[in-house]
Amino acid sequence: MRNAIPRRARVVIAAGTVALAGVALSACTGGQPDTSASGGTTEISWWAYGPDVSVVDQYLAAFNEEHPDIKVNFKLISQDTYDAVLRPALASNSGPDVFTEDPGARFEQFQSYGTDLTPAFEDALGSDWSSQLAQIGVDAFTKDGKLMAAPVGGDFAGTIWINQDLFTEYGQTPPTTFDEWVDVCAAFRSHDVGCFVQGAQQTDFDQDMFQAIADTIEPGLYSEAVAGDAAWDDPQLVQAFQAWGDTFTNGIMQDGALGITQFPDANNEFLAGKYAMVMMGTWYMQNTRTDILTAGMTAAGNTGAPFVAVPIQFPAAVEGGTPGGLFGNSGGGLAVSAKSAHKEAATTFATWLATAPAGQQVVADLMVNTPSLKGITPDFAALGLVAPDVQQPKIEWMIDEASKVTETRKLVDPDLEQALGTALTTIAAGDASPAQAAATLQQTAESLRG
Amino acid sequence: MFDTRTRRGRWGLQLLVTVLVIPFAFPLVVMLQGSLVGQGLGNYAVVLSQPELPYFFRNSLIIAAATIVIVYALALLAAFGFSKLRVRGRELLFWMLLICLTLPEVVLLTPLFATTLQLGIYNTYWAVVLPLAALQIPFAVLLARAFLDGVPDDIVDAARIDGASSMQVFLYVIVPLTRPIAAAIVVLTLIGAWNDYLLPLVFLTDPQSQTITLLPQFFIGQFSYDTTKVLAASVVSALPIVVAYMLLQRYFERGLAAGALK
Amino acid sequence: MTSVHRGTAAAHARAGRSVRSLRPQGYLWVLPALIVSAGILYYSIGYTGYISTLDWDGSSPAPEPVGFDNFVTLFGDPVFWAALQHTVLFFVVTFALQTFLGLLLAALLHSNIRWRGLYRVLVFVPVVIAPAFMAPVFRQIFAADGALNWVLEHIGLGFLTHSWLADSATALPVVMLIAVWGSTGVNFILYSAALGQIDPQIVEAARMDGAGGVRVFWSILLPSVRGTTLALAILTAIGSLKTFDIPYLVTNAGPNHATEFLGTYIYTQSIPLAHVGYGAALSVMLLVIAVIMALVLNLRRERGEA
Repeated sequence: MRNAIPRRARVVIAAGTVALAGVALSACTGGQPDTSASGGTTEISWWAYGPDVSVVDQYLAAFNEEHPDIKVNFKLISQDTYDAVLRPALASNSGPDVFTEDPGARFEQFQSYGTDLTPAFEDALGSDWSSQLAQIGVDAFTKDGKLMAAPVGGDFAGTIWINQDLFTEYGQTPPTTFDEWVDVCAAFRSHDVGCFVQGAQQTDFDQDMFQAIADTIEPGLYSEAVAGDAAWDDPQLVQAFQAWGDTFTNGIMQDGALGITQFPDANNEFLAGKYAMVMMGTWYMQNTRTDILTAGMTAAGNTGAPFVAVPIQFPAAVEGGTPGGLFGNSGGGLAVSAKSAHKEAATTFATWLATAPAGQQVVADLMVNTPSLKGITPDFAALGLVAPDVQQPKIEWMIDEASKVTETRKLVDPDLEQALGTALTTIAAGDASPAQAAATLQQTAESLRG
Repeated sequence: MFDTRTRRGRWGLQLLVTVLVIPFAFPLVVMLQGSLVGQGLGNYAVVLSQPELPYFFRNSLIIAAATIVIVYALALLAAFGFSKLRVRGRELLFWMLLICLTLPEVVLLTPLFATTLQLGIYNTYWAVVLPLAALQIPFAVLLARAFLDGVPDDIVDAARIDGASSMQVFLYVIVPLTRPIAAAIVVLTLIGAWNDYLLPLVFLTDPQSQTITLLPQFFIGQFSYDTTKVLAASVVSALPIVVAYMLLQRYFERGLAAGALK
Repeated sequence: MTSVHRGTAAAHARAGRSVRSLRPQGYLWVLPALIVSAGILYYSIGYTGYISTLDWDGSSPAPEPVGFDNFVTLFGDPVFWAALQHTVLFFVVTFALQTFLGLLLAALLHSNIRWRGLYRVLVFVPVVIAPAFMAPVFRQIFAADGALNWVLEHIGLGFLTHSWLADSATALPVVMLIAVWGSTGVNFILYSAALGQIDPQIVEAARMDGAGGVRVFWSILLPSVRGTTLALAILTAIGSLKTFDIPYLVTNAGPNHATEFLGTYIYTQSIPLAHVGYGAALSVMLLVIAVIMALVLNLRRERGEA
């Protein structure tokens, strides 16, 4: 068959095919929607690492009721590739109109690509706008007196969420001290039920737990160490490291904790009903809603009845310690790209989500973040909690506590964050004593400060 | 290859193969099990009802096809050159090509981004196809050259004595001869192109031009991770290549049976 | 090559030397591949080399040139040396296992066995599935309460159960196992192609001389596929240097850098920590090591052919 077509003809055919393919490829940009105004509708792009698409749909539905002429195209990028994707995009002229950045290190890196939203906020809330919003959010995204990203909600950690049904079934009461915690876990184990699950592989959450431990020993000391005003090998912090390390040997931590992640592994284990306790923060409020809990349970393979999830204060790590409070940070803030071709529309959207009561109500109802706008509370009646009598007071308590909190959760320096994570996992693995790890950490911190 | 004349020999070999293959199948079984947890086949229903799905398949297909064509053509041409023709500094050039194999994709992102913008191909398929081809070519050249080195030069020389030009030798002698390895190259390039995640993510910005590798992302949120749907999505994304392999497998077996050299 | 092949080729080579000098130039053939591949990638390499002399976070407009400081830091960095050690160990073990298993399976599936098609597919499917998708599955399988321990308990080997991923001593072997699982299919498919080139009469002759399966494997099959094995060695070596997906997604390079590889280290330095300059220096180091590895392997090839 090959010999039938003369060589020259075949070359021509080959070249023609390649040329055609080339034309097709360049013409085919995959149906890129025209992002310019057409018939009165402006389209803007929003890139973020969260929330889930289903949550975003709710945001956008509410947004479009007030602003039907702005269409938001959401692009979800996973956390671990977020920097890799966002950085070049922002450096170019084809980046997103709106992008989310978390407070701390990422904000420091990317805020220069945003625009000052203060005028828009003043328009929306008046000149005292900053007092109408949660302080932690405003502080997180203000740089040189300018608001460079819109705080949408807050994330607070420091609580432990328990499966109340399991506690009731085995006649246990939530622990208020570490000693009690050890006993509770021994009791659960004797019944072959998991006690506490942690994905120690993800150091972010180890950090939360350590901060909680330190706060029960000496409130505020952790933050001072982060800021460099206290040493990491301060005796009380070493105590905290000790308590942390002990959880891996006294039965609190589950076996193999270092080998699993918090999301998805530990989360799934808790939702599957295999463990009675997990360390999560305000973002777990959503699991008091029957619909969301059921979806989570199904995803974890649990076909049982929705269980009652309740937050408790973190147990005191030492004698005479105080059960822990909350610490937190703003959830991701929406920044408007300075290079955006649709700055107005983008600013409208970002501002709306952070300041409009309708927008903030959606945020509050979703119960993943605490609302940024003061005075907004979840519409409990409409949310369908699993056990409203038990859960509603707890959630109200959480939101109330969160609004008073000033202690932050995220570190600004990623290197310090990594060093802290290493210290924690080293202690957990038994490769270093708490005192050694603390000393190493202090050395690193000092060298990082230059 | 091994003795299968005695019944004991045959059973022994069968047992050996089965024992060896079980560990390969085990994680796959776990994966399938995981994808059926909870809603069972309902998970697949959810995954398959994603509206962007047909676009994802189309885009992955286009990118993979284009990459394969480029890689196959260029690699075979180059392997022929390296193996059967005179090229000054041949080994040096060959090694230069091989060094390209060592680059982790991540390193490419920043330089490529600037270049694609300048060339005006950002947000087109070319921005993904060309780097993918660039990454796959060295490996394909390596394979094809190793294969061609095993083909005695006499065949090429004989054809040339008969008056064939290089292009004719290439088209009528080399291409048919390399069918077994060609199938291998096609399959491996297909996999590399199909499974690529980073390049489409960075260089194709609209949801409608993204590839199938992004499908599981829809089920991964900031605080939720629907393992069952993610696994179902992985099965759905992987299925086309498994099918492609099964089809191509028969093709290169036929190539082998044709007895390349005798 | 078998001795039969070598003899004929030598005879032809003597006769054909005059023909070989009449061979046309191969440049044009080689050029397109070089342009596309080397062009794009060398530009990136050059750019990376330049960045390795900076202290930069990848986006700020004022990178600070620091000359060779990054490389000095690199040589004193214990994590770098640990990563290098893991990479080398990983290469040796995975290459040995993959070669052995790949060739054995290819040979077995070239024999008259039942269900060959099914086995072929099962061995190759792992190659097809992106590691990102399998990572949660493997984290589950090797978890303290995971599938592997479950199986061990149920076949009476309960004393072997372990927290595979949480223990730095077992984490690396687990990563190696997963890699072997995911890559043997490549060795298999290539050996399958190569085995098809072996004259079945040679195998038949050996068997008639009384050679058993093992003898056939070691003395006939293994030498016959030397070219493929070498290609695979280079490929696996380079792949080991780039290894990223599995250690990053399954163990997050932990616990405590127990599964840190050059690939993962480059990533963590460059992206989350934004030490783009240091990451670039590590990449340059990786390239240098790759070249050295390739040269060593090439020398072995040439010595083998002589």
